[in-house]
Amino acid sequence: MLQSIFYGLTIGGILYITSIGLSLTFGAMRIVNFAHGMVYSVGAYGLYYLSHSLGLPFLVAALGSLLLAIPLSYVIERLVIRRLYGQSIDYAIVATYAVLLIGVDAIKWIFGPNPLPISDPVGISLNLGFLEMPVYRLIIIGLSFLIFVGLSIFFKKTIVGKIVVAGLQDREAVRSLGINIDRYFAIVFVLGSALAALGGVLYAPLSTVQPYMGFQVLVLTFAVVIVGGMGNFRGTAIAAFSLGLIIALTGRIWGPAAEAMVFVVMAVVLIIRPIEV
Amino acid sequence: MSEHILATQGVSKAFDGLVATNNVTYGLFPGETAGIIGPNGAGKSTFFNLLTGYYPPDTGQVFYHGREITKLPAWDRVNLGLVRTFQLVSVFDTMTVLENMMLARMRQGGSYASKGRFFFGRARRKGLDDECFKALATMGLEGKAGTRTSDLSYGEKRELEIAIALSLNPQVLLLDEPFAGLSLVEIGNISEVIKKLKGKFTIAIVEHKISKLMDLVDRLSVINEGALVCSGEPREVICDPLVRECYWGKEDMVCY
Repeated sequence: MLQSIFYGLTIGGILYITSIGLSLTFGAMRIVNFAHGMVYSVGAYGLYYLSHSLGLPFLVAALGSLLLAIPLSYVIERLVIRRLYGQSIDYAIVATYAVLLIGVDAIKWIFGPNPLPISDPVGISLNLGFLEMPVYRLIIIGLSFLIFVGLSIFFKKTIVGKIVVAGLQDREAVRSLGINIDRYFAIVFVLGSALAALGGVLYAPLSTVQPYMGFQVLVLTFAVVIVGGMGNFRGTAIAAFSLGLIIALTGRIWGPAAEAMVFVVMAVVLIIRPIEV
Repeated sequence: MSEHILATQGVSKAFDGLVATNNVTYGLFPGETAGIIGPNGAGKSTFFNLLTGYYPPDTGQVFYHGREITKLPAWDRVNLGLVRTFQLVSVFDTMTVLENMMLARMRQGGSYASKGRFFFGRARRKGLDDECFKALATMGLEGKAGTRTSDLSYGEKRELEIAIALSLNPQVLLLDEPFAGLSLVEIGNISEVIKKLKGKFTIAIVEHKISKLMDLVDRLSVINEGALVCSGEPREVICDPLVRECYWGKEDMVCY
């Protein structure tokens, strides 16, 4: 039981890190961004390439992978997302889905369609007798907590953060202060994408990297965003960890139902609190 | 054209085939207080949004100080002194009154606004707070600085919005239905404020009730069905047969 809770928190941590960008893009720009899943995969494959193909140490490879995601997401913002501001949501779905498909095929083309393994970079477990805790998973939980605290400070205490929070409420009003809100949203977009890549990096050693990993995580992160509320930082964190726990605990009882349970919760939340798009 | 501080040349805007603004040529003279009136749905707000850059016009041009700004984004126009308020009051409800003002003042001069300031706290220590209290005092809101904006009355929110607009160093202040949703007392207060501001810079007020503007503006222009119908002295304008036609029965008007 405790073991499942511990695993659930790990999944929750990764879901949180991956979802925050999607939630912000959704909340701030009203853009459904399927390309988010691609950046996540790029994070994981970047890690694979740098650590396994080039033989770099895990930390260096992880950082390199994040640095790769930043210009990539900037290009996506510039060429695709920026053209979708104020357009109907269908355009965003079609355009960003296209980016996701291009990404998946590019990955298959470069790395092949088969899953590739990445080993646990720490490889040590803390054994408490009743509970075995791989240190790597502890790091993930700790990191997600640090990111939560960091983002809270960013949005409460910094000028950029304040402007973004104001923009989430009323974009036009921020413009009327002489502030180019789109530029701030672009910063947030890149930040959110870098976090998605970090999610991919962190998840890779727990499983394998494979071309469709972006699709899988996308469905789960959408559930997190819907349950937690678009553009709601705290709600996203609570939803991510709750759904992580639900996946782990359901999986303990009946494996095949684990991810399905997420959508049951999402459906219930939608019935209780319908979202407005 | 050149004597106007802000002017349009034949601007038009249509939404899905519906013409909201139809070939309007209009100009504001420096220092005047001008009113733009018209029945509901006449296209006043669309025209306002064309002036402030919130919509690009389909055809026509916008000039500011004689320079064409048709393609200049809305936020950039603010930095040139073209400041607006909204029909539905636009302040940030989840922040305090002071934070609302700080967001506006953050980039308006002063040592706190210099580049590289990242944390709010630093800017506040550099004198931002004092500036903001001063700006709030222009509308008598300094006592409410710590109040969450969602706890203000609608009239107070409108005052905050105007205080913020004034703190952005306007050369042209564009007020979109500043009296909408206010009580009679609040309307009186806002009118007094506008009277005090008259002559300090150029002011344009959009309104659909003529009576509220009669004593306030130097010049009145009427928009109906997207087109500029007439423009002139307020008392002359309300007696214009065309104007009487589009307002007939909607409001009592006394011609002198």
